[in-house]
Amino acid sequence: MDVKDTLIQFIQHDLIDDDQPINSDEDLLTTGLIDSVRVMRLVNFVGEAFAIEIPPEDMTIDHFISVDAISDYVASRKS
Amino acid sequence: MTYLLHQNILEQAEKAPDHIAFRCGKEEYAYADLAVKMQQLAAVLQDSGVRRGDRVGIFLHRCLETSLAIYGILQAGAVYVPIDPTLPEERIRYLIQDCGIQCLVSHPSQRRRLAVFGADEGMLRTIIGLEAEWAVPTISWEAVWSAPLAQAPRQLEKDLAYIIYTSGSTGNPKGVMHTHYSGLTYARLTADLYDIRSTDRIGNHAPIFFDISTLGYLTTPLVGATTVISSDAHVMLPTSLAKLIEQERLTIWYSVPLALIQMVQTQLLPSLDWSALRWILYGGEPFALGHLRQLMAELPHVGISNVYGPTETNQCTFYNLPAPPVDDTPVPIGYLWGNTEMLILDEDDQPVSDGEPGELLIRSGTMMKGYWNNPERTKQSFYEHTAVSGMVHTFYRTGDLVLLDENGLLQLLGRKDRQIKARGYRVELDEVEIAILSHPQVREAAVFPKAAADGQSKTIAAAISWKEELPIPELIGFLKQKLPPYAVPEDWTKYPELPRTPTGKIDRKLLQKVALQK
Repeated sequence: MDVKDTLIQFIQHDLIDDDQPINSDEDLLTTGLIDSVRVMRLVNFVGEAFAIEIPPEDMTIDHFISVDAISDYVASRKS
Repeated sequence: MTYLLHQNILEQAEKAPDHIAFRCGKEEYAYADLAVKMQQLAAVLQDSGVRRGDRVGIFLHRCLETSLAIYGILQAGAVYVPIDPTLPEERIRYLIQDCGIQCLVSHPSQRRRLAVFGADEGMLRTIIGLEAEWAVPTISWEAVWSAPLAQAPRQLEKDLAYIIYTSGSTGNPKGVMHTHYSGLTYARLTADLYDIRSTDRIGNHAPIFFDISTLGYLTTPLVGATTVISSDAHVMLPTSLAKLIEQERLTIWYSVPLALIQMVQTQLLPSLDWSALRWILYGGEPFALGHLRQLMAELPHVGISNVYGPTETNQCTFYNLPAPPVDDTPVPIGYLWGNTEMLILDEDDQPVSDGEPGELLIRSGTMMKGYWNNPERTKQSFYEHTAVSGMVHTFYRTGDLVLLDENGLLQLLGRKDRQIKARGYRVELDEVEIAILSHPQVREAAVFPKAAADGQSKTIAAAISWKEELPIPELIGFLKQKLPPYAVPEDWTKYPELPRTPTGKIDRKLLQKVALQK
């Protein structure tokens, strides 16, 4: 599975448990889809699943707004 | 002088049409835009059968449309009722039915949450802001933008403007009714107290179902200022929230202490430019002193105001800190603000002597009209006081214990119903909590009663999170110097972070449940 599929799988099944599919450009943060506790779980998951350390200054909307954004962020940290 | 909240928008649209009223993310409404859009929304609401005094629900996350929903509903002559979309379904159903809500204002992003509310919702007739097919007829935002402009019906300042449901520690939530008069009185008093002007940019952190939001939503249009609404994403990611204050050049910030603590903990404050900021208001719960000291040390140029007032009275006292707290004395709630009177009564409703603790009762222009659909609770919460002149005045019983100290400052001691008997001694749980919070290594603390092993008596349990971990016996040693031995908690649970309710307050009911299951 690539980064995006891994993220979609996690968000849809472990985080929000919803049958409706998540789009990779869907806004995860501003519409109440996930709450503050789940956001921290998402941040932790991204760190663990892709073996990167995420400092507080990187925990921003730009990096976590959507699956696409997270995937870009992971790529930038891996390169 | 206006006497209806929505007239402020129309007046500012004449005075400063291009000035920004509300902003969220990259979207914004200038006063002239908002004036047109709110009249269009009002026309659609009236066309859907909404009449003067009807309650209209707002089913929205933190977004720009919250401002339009509030003012469109008011312009239609109706009463806005914020609904927290993250509440359990049953709670939302209760609220819709209790309040007799026939119409909701929402947004396509809420479709997942709204899907469960179908045609069998009894009263519910229309949802505005959704597209396409639904169990209930919907009207899209696109359709709203082609509506004509509505005239507001003739209204009085004593008409209801909004109803906020409070969770209530027991039983069903209660709908606190506020009028245009109480809303405008609040707006005027805050504008005067904090000298808020059209050049101000107010950071709104609270969701609209929390009355802290009335500063950003009701005061701003009175003076023609700008409110920047923090999105849910900003609220969840403190780094982005801290950067928002810099980017938006915010001048006034109002939130629960937690949001400020989280921003301080990112350790980014020294690298950010918050120089435009001149006031931080906090309320909802006490600020842990260690954190408050740190915040004030990092922001020497900012005035800090401790705001007190239950939803039923909105704000009624203030304390502008003259300096960072030096010792572990709690921050007072300070002074009554304008147009406000108080009584401090003992258990027999007799005035206490100077310096003695008692229940705080408030009479003010910002006081609620009563609880929606609940005359009995309304009656219980009001107290008829006969003044020396023979006039009878109605006061609201806050349920909070206070004392007036020798300097004329009000000190908040805790809730009346947070007094328990532990091992036969009377203990103020809030005093215990304040004592724990005064330890510099404690981040958050909550204290609550727990049934003792014998099933009869009560013991005290505590939940804490650390700034820096400390062995519990050491903390107990610290507390024994401050509290009588029977008031020191026996049962301790450690959390990385205490769970919170949707309004950002510590979720005591949940903590109590967890402690009982241990």
